[in-house]
Amino acid sequence: MSVSKMAYYPGCPSEGTAMDQDMSTKAVFEKLGVELVEMDDWNCCGAAEVEDPRLVYALNARNLAIAEKEGLDIVTPCSICYYNLERSNQALKADEDLRTKVKGIDNSLGYNGKIRAKHVLDVFMNDVGQDELKSKMSKKLNIKVAPYYGCYLGRPRETAFDDPDDPVLMDRLIELAGGEVVPFSQTKTLCCGGPLMMTRSDIAFAMSRKILDAARSAGADCIALACPLCGMMLDGKQADIEKALNVTLGMPVVYITQLLGLALGIDAKKLGLNKNAVDTKELLGKVV
Amino acid sequence: MIKTWELDPSFKYEIMKEPGGEHITSCYQCSTCTIGCPITELVPDYNPRKIIQMSLLGMRNEVLTSPDLWICLICQTCTARCPQDVRISDLLGAIRRIAEKEAEAGKLKIDSSRPLFDKAFQHQLEKHGRLYDMGLAMEYYPKKEGSFISGMKAMMKDYKDFGMRMFKKGKMGPKAMLPVKVKDRTVIKKIFEEMGEK
Repeated sequence: MSVSKMAYYPGCPSEGTAMDQDMSTKAVFEKLGVELVEMDDWNCCGAAEVEDPRLVYALNARNLAIAEKEGLDIVTPCSICYYNLERSNQALKADEDLRTKVKGIDNSLGYNGKIRAKHVLDVFMNDVGQDELKSKMSKKLNIKVAPYYGCYLGRPRETAFDDPDDPVLMDRLIELAGGEVVPFSQTKTLCCGGPLMMTRSDIAFAMSRKILDAARSAGADCIALACPLCGMMLDGKQADIEKALNVTLGMPVVYITQLLGLALGIDAKKLGLNKNAVDTKELLGKVV
Repeated sequence: MIKTWELDPSFKYEIMKEPGGEHITSCYQCSTCTIGCPITELVPDYNPRKIIQMSLLGMRNEVLTSPDLWICLICQTCTARCPQDVRISDLLGAIRRIAEKEAEAGKLKIDSSRPLFDKAFQHQLEKHGRLYDMGLAMEYYPKKEGSFISGMKAMMKDYKDFGMRMFKKGKMGPKAMLPVKVKDRTVIKKIFEEMGEK
């Protein structure tokens, strides 16, 4: 295992709608023996709503500089945070004028391009590694899982760490834990619709419904995902989607960190599995 | 019918000056962006290729007032597949920013509430340094609905059930009513002043 300590960027939903993701991320890294140091006074990455790249780069220069001071690479459980942090990292690394300009705003934005930002899935599979993960797993997941990747893990090219059309890292992780991956290739990289939730909920709901429907017809016991916005749409808002579109879905949705945590033998409560909106009890009965 | 005398041939250069819009002239109209677009699948008239072609032709007003600009998910599917590296997700963002500037200057009207939402988000971020859901909703809904009362009604309609659900799961306690603030907020403010839209 090539990693023992990382700077932790929880992302804004970590204290609210995605606290289960935050809890399970911390618990899993603790079990894996990787120390997470929460970044001191981190700020929002800009999410999907700050579209001006100059603003995104400056906002994240501050975050990157905080971790660089500690000499640590950043890890985050959120796909959007990952994308914004790492694309800012690459832009700042490649462009000295940009670094100078950003540092001119305030010294605390002085970033020297010495670290990088990573998504938890990338760290699990490529830094910790499958052998190490397997050696620490004490439970088998007798669960049929639809692995849902959404955006930003496999695209765009510059920041991607998996295939754009048929990503596999989550599939491998689920199989490693003894779970069964249901056929989901046509759906695994579709967008959840989250960015349109507040302005065109009709489109957002239709997008999410497609994913939930596909998981259901593939015979999945649950969907696994790796982004708090996808989590809010597919889990948090599932009942709203059912009501608005007059359908019954009843599809449990868990974070990949929660699934990995179960395989590592971590207590379900410590993984926040009582906080998912769609009940997860049935899944827990399938962990042996 | 296109009225050639109404075209603005400099529009593409205006777009290219905006960060994200640099690669628009690389487009050779192959439609890969549109064929793979998840929005086009749901809204068949939505056509990013057409938006690019209209921009290249100089149909400035038609592009900037098109409601289609505001239903892009920025999911990056088109960007990942484009053989000409046009970076369509970023390009549409650049066009959206031009439209917002024009709307703020009173030169056109945008038929979407998304600019209001994005602005409210940025405003909250500038104030607190972090996302503050409650503050965002309290700012966005009244603006969208035109008054505080109707805004609160719309917010309750959209979020009453969701809020209750989150509350029951312990994800939306009294703590969520208050913002979590970055300590060094003067820096965040400076970032917006220096790098934000003027």
